[in-house]
Amino acid sequence: MAETLLDIAMMHSDSLIARAREGDKNAQGKLVQLWYKRIYNFSYKFFFDHDLAMEVSQKTFISMHKNIARLQEVTRFKSWLYTIAVNYCREEARKKKNNRALSLDNMRPGESEESYRWEESHHRRENPERQLRHSELSDILQKCLMELSAEQREVVIMKEYEGLKFREIAETLNISENTVKSRMYYGLEGLKKILEEKKITKETIGYEL
Amino acid sequence: MNYKPDEGALISYLYGELSAAEASKVHAYLEANPEELKKLQSLGYTKNVLAQVQDKEVIAPPIFMDDTKVVSFWQNSYFKTVMSIAASLLFIMVAGKLLGTEINYTEGELKISFSGKKEQPTPLIQPSLTEEKVQEMIQSSLANNNEVITTNWTEDQKRLSQSISYNLAQNSKKIDALMKTASDASQEQVRGFVASLQNDNLKLMKDYFQLSAADQKKYTEGLLVDFSEYLKEQRRQDLMMLQTRVTSIEKNTDQFKQETEQILASIISSPVSKINKNSY
Repeated sequence: MAETLLDIAMMHSDSLIARAREGDKNAQGKLVQLWYKRIYNFSYKFFFDHDLAMEVSQKTFISMHKNIARLQEVTRFKSWLYTIAVNYCREEARKKKNNRALSLDNMRPGESEESYRWEESHHRRENPERQLRHSELSDILQKCLMELSAEQREVVIMKEYEGLKFREIAETLNISENTVKSRMYYGLEGLKKILEEKKITKETIGYEL
Repeated sequence: MNYKPDEGALISYLYGELSAAEASKVHAYLEANPEELKKLQSLGYTKNVLAQVQDKEVIAPPIFMDDTKVVSFWQNSYFKTVMSIAASLLFIMVAGKLLGTEINYTEGELKISFSGKKEQPTPLIQPSLTEEKVQEMIQSSLANNNEVITTNWTEDQKRLSQSISYNLAQNSKKIDALMKTASDASQEQVRGFVASLQNDNLKLMKDYFQLSAADQKKYTEGLLVDFSEYLKEQRRQDLMMLQTRVTSIEKNTDQFKQETEQILASIISSPVSKINKNSY
């Protein structure tokens, strides 16, 4: 994954975190701007649902505002923030399990020209057909991720998409590093089987891309 | 080499999170075990496929936090609860006062009254009968009752035995009469039945003999006719046989005649030559 300016800014935001911890509203706002996309994407990949991802992201940053003063080590901000997000994800998952109402958002429009996926595309300069195929593949893989257990899914997302180290994931989830690695190993193995079942091979992906 | 990395080590190797020494150990192990290497490569491939999932673009919404929010004592939930309970109690007390409610609990009785009206005490009823009197009354009534019951019972028993004996006598008489009529009737019926049975049998026998005699007659007649026909046929056949014999004898005689004639003719035609030969 190529590092963007945002990633670099996130990595060198220690002073920003320190200021936010001291109550600097401006610094807190900047932290939200820096981390919102990451937390949203983490939640989105966890639920594969935009509304739930938005809900979790907002709750996470509200909680961050309230509790950042209690953060003891600046270097642990990342795992601390993901801990909040994971807790809200679990809470929402529990609510979702208890209340299986059909969300209107689940009723996605068909793959027509009016499809919002065209609107979603941020690589406007790329070939639209190629972009649409990429988006479809992304959704298929996202569905495969949803077939994993929540425990394995959160580890796989944190490692594969959020780029956390195993140590950081262990800190975030408050479990041992070995458990994290084991969940990751079996998560990948599970995904391998799911991909094989769905006949997603090197060749098909090569053709798609 | 006994080193075998666990899943944790393998996954750390895949993500490049092992120390150089550990990584070289795992590397050597994978070179020695191509199957494990293949397995890890397939996980690496899965990892690469997963990388195809795109991030969603999202704009962070403004989040406003009001940290200076001070909750006043009047807004405190505990205060609100206590106040509501107090208000309810006050309301009940005022209502009770206005309605003149009186609540009494005496001798296991709860009395709630409004408008302060006193309840009139119910006058005590003096007992006119003593316990002994009641006992005597009960005993006398029981004695009377027992007497009445015993007299009634003996009378009933008498009546019952009389009626039973009377009924039994009546019934036995009836049964005797019935038995008698039944036996008489049965003797006459048996006689009649036997007579009718004899008549029937006689008739049946007559019919049978008549029928069988006619049948036998028919049968013997048929037999005689058949026998005469048989004799006729036999005679005809014998005659035919005789005729054929006679004809065959005739034929034979004719043939013999012809042969004799031929022989005679031949003898007559050749005596001279034979004589000449014999003379020499």
